Amino acid sequence: MVFEQEQEEVTPGAVHGYRLSTVVPSSVTGEVDYALADADLAFKLHYLRGVYYYPPGDVARGLATKVLKDPMFPWLDDYFPVAGRVRRAEKDAEAAADGAPRRPYIKCNDCGVRIVEAKCDRDMDEWLRDDAPDRLRQLCYDKVLGPELFFSPLLYVQITNFKCGGLALGFSWAHLIGDVPSAVTCFNKWAQILSGKKPEATVLTPLNKPLQGQSPAAAPRSVKQVGPIEDHWLVPAGRDMACYSFHVSETVLKKLQQQQGRHAAAAGTFELVSALVWQTVAKIRGGDVDTVTVVRTGAAARSGKSLANEMTVGYVASAGSSPAKTDVAELAALLTKNVVDETAAVAAFQGDVLVYGGANLTLVDMEQVDVYALEIKGLRPVHVEYGMDGVGEEGAVLVQPDADGRGRLVTAVLPRDEIDSLRAALGSALQVA
Amino acid sequence: MSMGSSAQLRRLKPLYQLVVNNILAIVAVPLAAAVLLRAASLGPEEILARALALRPAHMFLCAFLPAAATVLYLMLRPRAVYLVDYACFRTNPNCRVPFATFLEHSRVWPGFDERSVRFMTRLLERSGLGEETCLPYAQHYIPPSRDLESSRAEAELVIFSAIDDLLAKTGVSPQDIDILVVNCSLFAPTPSFTDMIMHRYGLRKDVRNVHLAGMGCSAGLISVELARNLLQVAPRGARALVVSTETITPNYYMGKERAMLLPNCLFRMGGAAALLSTDGAGARFRLAHVVRTLRGASDSAYHCVYQEEDDRGNVGINLSKDLMNIAGDALKANITAMGPLVLPASEQLLFALSFIARKVLNNRIKPYIPDFRTAFEHFCIHAGGRAVIDELQRSLTLSDEQVEASRMTLHRFGNTSSSSLWYELAYIEAKGRMRRGDRVWMIGFGSGFKCNSAAWECIRPAANADGPWANCIHRYPVHIPDVLKH
Repeated sequence: MVFEQEQEEVTPGAVHGYRLSTVVPSSVTGEVDYALADADLAFKLHYLRGVYYYPPGDVARGLATKVLKDPMFPWLDDYFPVAGRVRRAEKDAEAAADGAPRRPYIKCNDCGVRIVEAKCDRDMDEWLRDDAPDRLRQLCYDKVLGPELFFSPLLYVQITNFKCGGLALGFSWAHLIGDVPSAVTCFNKWAQILSGKKPEATVLTPLNKPLQGQSPAAAPRSVKQVGPIEDHWLVPAGRDMACYSFHVSETVLKKLQQQQGRHAAAAGTFELVSALVWQTVAKIRGGDVDTVTVVRTGAAARSGKSLANEMTVGYVASAGSSPAKTDVAELAALLTKNVVDETAAVAAFQGDVLVYGGANLTLVDMEQVDVYALEIKGLRPVHVEYGMDGVGEEGAVLVQPDADGRGRLVTAVLPRDEIDSLRAALGSALQVA
Repeated sequence: MSMGSSAQLRRLKPLYQLVVNNILAIVAVPLAAAVLLRAASLGPEEILARALALRPAHMFLCAFLPAAATVLYLMLRPRAVYLVDYACFRTNPNCRVPFATFLEHSRVWPGFDERSVRFMTRLLERSGLGEETCLPYAQHYIPPSRDLESSRAEAELVIFSAIDDLLAKTGVSPQDIDILVVNCSLFAPTPSFTDMIMHRYGLRKDVRNVHLAGMGCSAGLISVELARNLLQVAPRGARALVVSTETITPNYYMGKERAMLLPNCLFRMGGAAALLSTDGAGARFRLAHVVRTLRGASDSAYHCVYQEEDDRGNVGINLSKDLMNIAGDALKANITAMGPLVLPASEQLLFALSFIARKVLNNRIKPYIPDFRTAFEHFCIHAGGRAVIDELQRSLTLSDEQVEASRMTLHRFGNTSSSSLWYELAYIEAKGRMRRGDRVWMIGFGSGFKCNSAAWECIRPAANADGPWANCIHRYPVHIPDVLKH
């Protein structure tokens, strides 16, 4: 007799029937320790939540849980730090002196990745059309690291089966272990193993070392200092945050580009789209969004390590005028040219910080991340959305490519009561002229 | 006794053993020589005359009686039973359960309290288990499923892959199997596993099939003995398939009693299939003896390993605190029965003399513990747990190398119940230590309390290391620390 945790009150249409299990690496890793870089620790309070939607059909029907789980065992052999758990370094003389919490690292004890199976009694099309805010949270298991770090998985994979036969895969990834490109590459490799291909080798060297430089006295302007954080790695925003995704079609993009006029310094699509959202949020909030934090993939700056936090962090201040009254084109130009890079300072800062939504509204560039490459047995996702948890009150905006690559999908992580205003304000902007 | 004289005695011991073990030869040779000399001295004519003088009746009896006795002996002695080959279930890395995962699952599920989790942690650290032991698919869930379908799935996976392996190794077709004995103690659905095997492999209509349930961890050797007995009355050359396994899925204990949490930590997935036959052609081992000792008549032994419900109604197996003592007693009883069958005459004589000396002269003389290393080259001790192996190593005065098979099986596979003896035999063969003529002693312990042992003699060692140890034998032996901190 299957033991159900408790009789759940199932709201019609909600995701229910959660069953948890664990997947471990197939060979013994040997209890090695994976050192975390300072850049990794800067992002420890954030959690990536990505959902991939697969259409119903024969292929989706053949994707039983076991079929999805089996390739994970060899996958975790390559990505064994993801299967580990956070520990704090043993007490030593120097650390004991200043009383600060000891430095965290990952103990690669093969503890594994948590798999969650769930069901939804609605059709996937209906679910997507509904456009409910925060639907991401139902499809990604929303746990964080702590209060017991020893027993907190770094990755959760939720497999949700819709009534029509469609499938949603929700990944909950602790930002600590890697940034957005690292995470997406990691998931893509799993899909490659599932489809029978041999993925590229995983590069986990050179080993991370703590930075030797001086820590800045105050937190860099891009981020906000919080804490000190003990063992529960989540700083609840004062207000209830929700993720809302909307599509920016190719036509709208073209319109934005045409409107650049004298600022034809050819701002990229990321700058244009995020400038639009910046302006809209400023209008909703009535000012006070003068500075934004910009987090970008920066492919050129990457070292080639498979697990790393190498996104560039910087800020842009809107000179003088309120962004609500500034042109989208001008804001886009600011985003292209006036970003003050603070990546090194953020990494060097020793305190606990909130990068996304901490000090300012954060714009995240995911343009160069190939999210639609997660093909399962040749089945491409019809829709992918990436949100974030652990975001501060200021909010975050993630810009990623859409299904055909020509438009953009934007996920805004904002306080719940701002979502409706955003929808309304954007409504007109996103209409084709 | 001074050091000098005991050293001298030790040097004399091999000579003593040589003399006593070959006493018949030593006595027969001079006797035959004397007879020949006497015959030679008498001369051929004298012998012929004496022979012709014998009455026909006496001549007839002289010829007939020995011949009749020989024929009767040859006909009535038990048929030799051979182990054609055996195969163990090869564990799949997809079922692997590292320590960290096991403990995390216990922690995350609210049914186990803090004390229970701490207890299980301490147990696992000292258990001697490694990081590659396997649990069935259903037990990777939080909480584990214990339903009938998952249990059957586990049993089918283990049993069918072991039998597939065995049939491939021996080249025997399922139609050639005459007897089928399966033992699985804690899970016995209807129809039985024997019927499940019949259904899958299409065995013949007249197969003698028996399922042994509830017989505990020593049931592997009970099945072997049953197969041996059935082979005595089956047609010559009959084949018996013996399958030993334990199904873990339905038996996960979900309560808080510490004595009942131990099996959760130690028992792991495993199974083995063996083919026995009275036809020795191509066989690899010969079954020399099976000795079974049952201690159920005593109260403490009976309740020693007891399946019961705890206060909250959770079913589990309660292991009593004096398990080791009872196991020790059962072992002594078993060795006492096994000794006369396997020990060479030299050891038996020493034991008899020391026994008489204790009775007649002085009870304080230390009893002589026969050296079983003179009777066996290899030892397979049920990998019930580290304590069991330590206890047996001490009482049989075995070296570390002799218990290595048991310790390494416990490390790599955990306690696989009745099939652990077969994994240990596979270890010894994978290491290339088995030679023709080597004798193996398998000792199993189990609920009841039962201690069963079997003596095998090797005819043909394994040709290669293929088997459950194939991809890891090069890493063994490993050093197992007393406490595994992690």
